[in-house]
Amino acid sequence: MNKSSVIIRFYKLILIGLFYIIPNLSHAIVNIFACEPEWESLAKEIGGEKVKTFSATHANQNPHYIRARPSLISKAVKADIIFCSGASLEVGWLPLLLQKAKGSVQSGNDGYLMASEYVKVLEKTMVADRSMGDVHPEGNPHVHLNPHNISLIAKELTKRLELIDATNQSFYRSRLDNFILRWEEAINRWEKNSSDLKGMQVVIHHKTFSYLIDWLELTEVASLEVKPGIPPTASHLKGLLQQFKSKSPDVIIRTPFDPGDGSMWLSEKINTPAIIMPYTINGNDNSADLFALFENSINLLKGAFNDQ
Amino acid sequence: MHKTKLAASVAIVSLFFGNFALAAESNKDIDTLRAEIQNMKQVYEKRIANMEAQLGRVEKKRNQSPVSSGKKAPTTSSRRILSNSFNPSVGLVLNGTYSNFSSGTSEIPGFGMGEEGERGKEGPAIGESEMNFSASVDDKFYGSLTSAIVNEDGADKIELEEAYLQSLPGLGLPTGLDIKAGRALWKLGYLNEHHAHTDDFADRPLPYRAYLNKAYNDDGLATSYVLPTNFYSEIGGGMYRADDFPFGTADGENTSWSAFARVGSDIGNNQSWRLGGYLLSGDSKTTGRKSNEDAVIFKGESDLYVTDLRYVWAPTGNARNKEVIFQMEYFKRSEDGTYDDTENSTGEVAFDDTSSGLYVQGVYKFTPRWRVGARYSKLFSPDVPTGLVDSNLDSKNFDPRAYAGMIDWTNSEFSRVRLQYNHEKLKDGQTDKQFMMQYVISIGAHGAHAY
Repeated sequence: MNKSSVIIRFYKLILIGLFYIIPNLSHAIVNIFACEPEWESLAKEIGGEKVKTFSATHANQNPHYIRARPSLISKAVKADIIFCSGASLEVGWLPLLLQKAKGSVQSGNDGYLMASEYVKVLEKTMVADRSMGDVHPEGNPHVHLNPHNISLIAKELTKRLELIDATNQSFYRSRLDNFILRWEEAINRWEKNSSDLKGMQVVIHHKTFSYLIDWLELTEVASLEVKPGIPPTASHLKGLLQQFKSKSPDVIIRTPFDPGDGSMWLSEKINTPAIIMPYTINGNDNSADLFALFENSINLLKGAFNDQ
Repeated sequence: MHKTKLAASVAIVSLFFGNFALAAESNKDIDTLRAEIQNMKQVYEKRIANMEAQLGRVEKKRNQSPVSSGKKAPTTSSRRILSNSFNPSVGLVLNGTYSNFSSGTSEIPGFGMGEEGERGKEGPAIGESEMNFSASVDDKFYGSLTSAIVNEDGADKIELEEAYLQSLPGLGLPTGLDIKAGRALWKLGYLNEHHAHTDDFADRPLPYRAYLNKAYNDDGLATSYVLPTNFYSEIGGGMYRADDFPFGTADGENTSWSAFARVGSDIGNNQSWRLGGYLLSGDSKTTGRKSNEDAVIFKGESDLYVTDLRYVWAPTGNARNKEVIFQMEYFKRSEDGTYDDTENSTGEVAFDDTSSGLYVQGVYKFTPRWRVGARYSKLFSPDVPTGLVDSNLDSKNFDPRAYAGMIDWTNSEFSRVRLQYNHEKLKDGQTDKQFMMQYVISIGAHGAHAY
């Protein structure tokens, strides 16, 4: 017997052994793999102690540009629900993870939950030529910044949890009811509180705030990125300077993961506050959960508006 | 729509007033008129009914998308969005270089070099233009084909880089296990499973050129399994035809095989790493491994051991803006067989020795669009049996080494331009200063950000 066939046998033995040794863990707890912190937070609201959550990205990461790094593969393998924004936001890495994940979390199954499939998506385009930048024909994927969307998605998540973990149906249902009650109350408060922001002129960095702008009826007057996904250039910024010569906008907003130089430069030149919005959970010190995220976002906008 | 509305209102009005006007007429006339009016009434009633139905439909539609008071509330959309609406997804990669070499020749004596392992073409040249078609076949299988159009000896040829079928989780294999069959860039070290256009440098490092003729993509079958451990760990292996470099057995009886294991994890929020060990083993007994333009033939067994390490750090947390990537691979090859250098008529000379090679590289993205990188690669030559002295396999105890520095500009996820300088000392007394300019663009399906 030659050396290589001995190694093959040894290798086969290890493989076979591993299949039998690995215990078939029962679903004591539902593993939720969230692509973004906002979905992890929502999963916690509905799932409580019956779920174990993980977020693939944190507030300082641009969720479009991360890699399918080793830890994500190992988390995805164990996931019972993959909960993401969808609409191509995670197109660069989620497919790689799904290849290794369970059959029950594949597209079309109960464990596959893409938030953008359950809300009205903004900025859908019929034609998406890449000369327009990184535009996705499915529309803008940053759906979580309209709180009404959160309600819709919370309901869908509850449905999925009830299907996957039927023994705890009433648990999830009552947590949803409780959440919706508090959430709708908060929405009413926010909408009342922010009525004076209507029409506020906003300069954005990237189209990450479209849903917030749409909800609060702000006016988006310019974007620092030349085109979606194409970083700001000097000539583009100079063009903006020209645009705002006669009338300054009310605020320049960006996420914690957008580079600040363009924002700050323009802010100084046109004497307009540039603020970092939390964008998602833990985007700053005052956005530890979904309630705080919206509360803080509105307060920041109001602060900038009243500063004028 | 407007026309029907108008006609209907005229009819209603005329019916109303018509009754008064006609009161004085004779019975006969009245009867005729009555019949006429009855007729008209029927016609217009039908039209009105149609209109009401239409209106109802419009109203129903509007109710489905309720307009909220004040603030905008979104509505549920029943549309299912699929990530890959095109079936199959098609991608094109175009790649071109302009190179300038200071040395007329570039040889690596001591190592039988395959054609792809040699340095690129001088002057303007297009590299491999790749075409990729891929799609989930159904719920159980995924298929992908990548062909490269390359220019070899003045003729454009189509090379099949990859054509494989991969199992999807829907097949019902244990979670984390997949099987791939066909031709693929198999899991062997870091770079091998990646297409060259995703590399951080314009050319592959010395060990890949010498040991794998750039990449190993034999025909075969492989499996890999992500273990259900808390950190990432994956094992796998495969059986291949042993037809591709570094093998050469076209009879299909003597196969080559591989095995690997790798682990990886995160360090805090912004750092991650992966470490792997790989083995590729096989025979080149019949036709042999041909190198140096078919002048050198190796027949026998060869084992290749590879270790790779990759470490990625995003200093600000956001890899889009700043990123540091450190990567190294170490190769060791042991060969047992015969070498025949037909150019120097050595005859079949027994060879039983090992050689090794490594490269270490670092890439730093300092703004979203700009990256700089440096790479050092080296080969450790094997001893030369007396029968091979002064042949292509005589390294004269010289260990080839190469230094590379690059800067690249990435306009979007789909386009990149690179400048690279190589300083190569591959042979005693031969220094090759290489200057390269490269562009890589991709069109079509959104590529994956593999680790």
